[in-house]
Amino acid sequence: MPKVLTTCCFCACGCNLYLQVEAGKVIGVTPSREHPITRGNLCLKGWNSFEFVHHKDRLRYPLIRRRGHLVEADWEKALNLVAQRLAEVKDKYGPQSLGVLSSAKCTNEENYLLMKFARAVLKTNNVDHCARLCHSPSVIGLSNAFGSGAMTNAISELASAEVILVTGSNTTEQHPQIARFIFDALARGAKLIVVDPRRIPLSRFAHIYLQPRLGTDVIWLNGMTKIILEEGLLDDAFIKMRTENFRAFSEMLKNFDLEQVEAISGIPLEDLRMAARVYAGVKRAMIIYSMGITQHISGTDNVQSIANLAMLTGHVEQKYTGVGPLRGQNNVQGACDMGALPGMLSGYQNVADEGIRKKFERVWKTDLPTAPGLTEIDMFHGTGNKKIRAMFVMGENPALSHPDLKATRAALQVLEFMAVSDIFLTETAALADVVLPAASFAEKNGTVTSTERRIQRVRKAVSPIGASRPDWQIICELASRMNYPMAYESPAEIMEEIAMLTPIYGGVYYDRLEQGWGLFWPCPNRDHPGTPFLHKGSFVRGKGRFECTLYRPPAEMPDEAYPFYLTTGRISEHWHTGSMSRRITALSRERPEAFVEINPQDAKRLGVANRKPVRVVSRRGEITVKARLTDDVPEKTVYIPFHFTEAPANILTHGHCDPEAKIPEFKVCAVRLEKVQ
Amino acid sequence: MRGTVGKGAVMPNELILNKEHLTGFLRKIAKERELIAPIKNSYGDTLFEVISSVDDVSLDLESRPAMPPKDFFLPPTETLFNYQREGKQYRFEEVLPDVSRVLFGLRSCDLWAILFLDVVFQENFKDRYYLNRRSNTILINIGCHEPMLNCFCKSAKSGPFLTQGYDLQLTDLGDRFFVEVGRPRGRELVDKWDYFFTSATQKDRDEQYEIVLEAESKFGQTVDLDMATSRLINHEVDDALWEELGNRCQGCGGCAYVCPTCYCFNIVDRPVSETQGERVRMHDACTLAGFTRLAGGYNPRQERSRRIRRRFYHKLPFAIEKYHRPSCVGCGRCMEICFGRVDMIHFIKMVCERGKKASQEASLRLGEILVQAGLISREELKVALEKQADTGKPLGIQLIEDGLTTTKEIALALGCQLRIPETAGTEG
Repeated sequence: MPKVLTTCCFCACGCNLYLQVEAGKVIGVTPSREHPITRGNLCLKGWNSFEFVHHKDRLRYPLIRRRGHLVEADWEKALNLVAQRLAEVKDKYGPQSLGVLSSAKCTNEENYLLMKFARAVLKTNNVDHCARLCHSPSVIGLSNAFGSGAMTNAISELASAEVILVTGSNTTEQHPQIARFIFDALARGAKLIVVDPRRIPLSRFAHIYLQPRLGTDVIWLNGMTKIILEEGLLDDAFIKMRTENFRAFSEMLKNFDLEQVEAISGIPLEDLRMAARVYAGVKRAMIIYSMGITQHISGTDNVQSIANLAMLTGHVEQKYTGVGPLRGQNNVQGACDMGALPGMLSGYQNVADEGIRKKFERVWKTDLPTAPGLTEIDMFHGTGNKKIRAMFVMGENPALSHPDLKATRAALQVLEFMAVSDIFLTETAALADVVLPAASFAEKNGTVTSTERRIQRVRKAVSPIGASRPDWQIICELASRMNYPMAYESPAEIMEEIAMLTPIYGGVYYDRLEQGWGLFWPCPNRDHPGTPFLHKGSFVRGKGRFECTLYRPPAEMPDEAYPFYLTTGRISEHWHTGSMSRRITALSRERPEAFVEINPQDAKRLGVANRKPVRVVSRRGEITVKARLTDDVPEKTVYIPFHFTEAPANILTHGHCDPEAKIPEFKVCAVRLEKVQ
Repeated sequence: MRGTVGKGAVMPNELILNKEHLTGFLRKIAKERELIAPIKNSYGDTLFEVISSVDDVSLDLESRPAMPPKDFFLPPTETLFNYQREGKQYRFEEVLPDVSRVLFGLRSCDLWAILFLDVVFQENFKDRYYLNRRSNTILINIGCHEPMLNCFCKSAKSGPFLTQGYDLQLTDLGDRFFVEVGRPRGRELVDKWDYFFTSATQKDRDEQYEIVLEAESKFGQTVDLDMATSRLINHEVDDALWEELGNRCQGCGGCAYVCPTCYCFNIVDRPVSETQGERVRMHDACTLAGFTRLAGGYNPRQERSRRIRRRFYHKLPFAIEKYHRPSCVGCGRCMEICFGRVDMIHFIKMVCERGKKASQEASLRLGEILVQAGLISREELKVALEKQADTGKPLGIQLIEDGLTTTKEIALALGCQLRIPETAGTEG
């Protein structure tokens, strides 16, 4: 029974586990005991992560659409067709008519290759991936403030913090291993502040729990900073030495009226004062946040407000302090790092910078496009709609994960051509003209980067299922068919190229990843040990920048016709669009179907009983789901997880975005509830 | 001492294996059977691995492997049979395991756990999948002269050394192993390769005895498993405790997956194609909601706290009632891996501590009643309470032993206080 060490394929905690292989099949997993995050355990998803690998629904051969139906084809035909159709659309409408979606579930090497494919072969910067839908405001907001959009500190540092402020992160459910370090900190006497519109499980352990209304984060965050300023709890020396633009920021706060905090956010001012004093009152305080902060039209301002709070109190730049945006997907950090973003090449090097382009052109031996690229939301909803004529989608499922699904699916259907590579026939793949069967994490080599910037190996345990191939090989084949030969013998060779072109990955080589437990970027050269916490001594951008932030109400507020707030999210037993987790016995048994969380008071008024179906209607569409009565949601607010294709929450959500980060406001829209007779 | 087994046995029951002969002995074994032993891999993790060559592995006989050996008897996923549909007919093809193994270097707790599983898997009917593997496996444990940080096998009475159940048991005497021969198959091994062994001398025996004694004094974790069990049986654990555990549990199932005695499994039929499929069983965990949810959607243990309550009841009083031993062997793995400290050690400590508090409060109440009834003086109560704190005896017993009162008087006083007519009324 060989045991192959690899990195878990679900969330970005980066747990390492051994795949147990018997007779060419993965039959179980063993968590690593020595790995610093894994510490001998996994969440329920991790323990069962192996099961979808051999599922009968795995795509085993390429599919081509013929007379409306997807039919089996051989690789040669399928690849030729994709290369030919992409070239045709490019010739006919220009490279700006092509869109490429990369994948936070694929390896660094695959993301790097696909963004190279978009830019060097298709000649477009229209390449993006699902970070757009989760942490694009962090990439922008924290880059503006600190110079880097990643978690400032290592996960394990949480255990030694004195105060932990968790907001917009259901940590125990979405990042269980990170919650474990929070529990460790609590056992050592740390204070926990939880700020969340839903009474999440972690709130039961909070010393202070604040329940703001949806979409009012700028208000309570600015309120907290103002209280700290007024009560003189700020870190003067840090502000003078390490930051800039403080004057403008404090001017803004002067005009901020603390009285509006309770009126708008619903948080009693005295409670907020208490939280401000606790957070500012210690040396080692960390802030943990996630989608609850970013998925708003004010996402970037929310993130900036968090950065302001941390800088005001000097809670950054040191060990056991900092700001931690918890990334969702196993490699969403890496997909960003690799430049699967319209404005960035790998390592957050600006594509608009001619010098940077020249550097890449010299190695890639071709000219690079200069026109700015489209975000994935713009490819479907915004300015880009109808400009995109053909798409290549690797391991993403916008037909279930994007907001306003009717509009999204309509945009997919008007495409002249779409190719999808995936491991299952997802809702998106089912709409494709060509479907390419990809290998899963258990069947390929590569690296992924966890939320704490830890670069780790993914190792092949079994042969690809059926005729499936690793995505990096698929991209190489396509590029070669489009007159740009890519002949990499292995992911290690791709990483050598990444290291050469990407300063923060400059010292990342496969042989180094065999010792220890990966490397933290920035790791500029072979002798560099990696960087567990960022901004030591000074911010990456030089001085930390305060920025004024202004409260903007959510794009769609409840009204008479749609009197409820709807907020969407995930549950611990399922993963995103469910293509993997819903095919796992223990997980699908645990949560077999969708539900809407309703406050019992509202349910009473509506006459809805527990586990009975309810129709949820928004301006975009409607779904029917079973009610789950719980006090965890406040009155006039309902919550639906987005994993379930038979009741897709995103039918209801809207496509209004944060103007800078272009992240849709998944966390707030207006709905009405109807009892199903 | 165990008797000599089988005729023609020439080797005594206590032997010495020189450490330099270990590799040779294992090499011989590996030629005839699949050899499984704890290996420290290049990443630093110790796992039970199948050893293909004894030369290029680093045997780790000092630490407890991350996962228990149960996977070798009850794999995480196991195909029970394949099926094929032809028209309306089904054809079945059973997949019975057939491999002879030696598990070498088991910790005592893990071996004890296998013995527990043995009972479970042939209790009502004989589970052929389990028993096929089990009856072809020889178990060799090494006594723990150095318990790990979270080990509490001594409290669970499953270690650090065993007195029965093993085929061979090794004790590390520094430059050599003291080998005890247990069940017949251990005897077969030493008889077959007798030239690796010499007879143990009195000096060896003395040394081994010293090590056993010393090991027993080295435990960092001691918990009162019996006290926790009795509190569970007497329903002395309050709901608040279960509630707290329910909040802290993150529902990962890890405690069941890493437990050497947790044997619950789920069975599913998996189609492989339109006409073919397999019946598979896989590990399951009782802390999951789906474990008890009924077909209609109703779950008798909907709240996590109820499921955890059931788990601990099952591990302690129910197992003891049924199998005369707890289904906890004190390996400490759950303690090391639990996200929310809902493990056996924390549980037992919580139960005992809160029980202690509760019994102190009860003592105070009883004392007050007796003082008010004029049976003892306040001074006598104070002395008795101090004594009781040392002896740990219930206050009533302490007072009776000190001759200050009698059972009857206590009963009467209590009866009056609680207004129980049978005691308060008849004589009052």
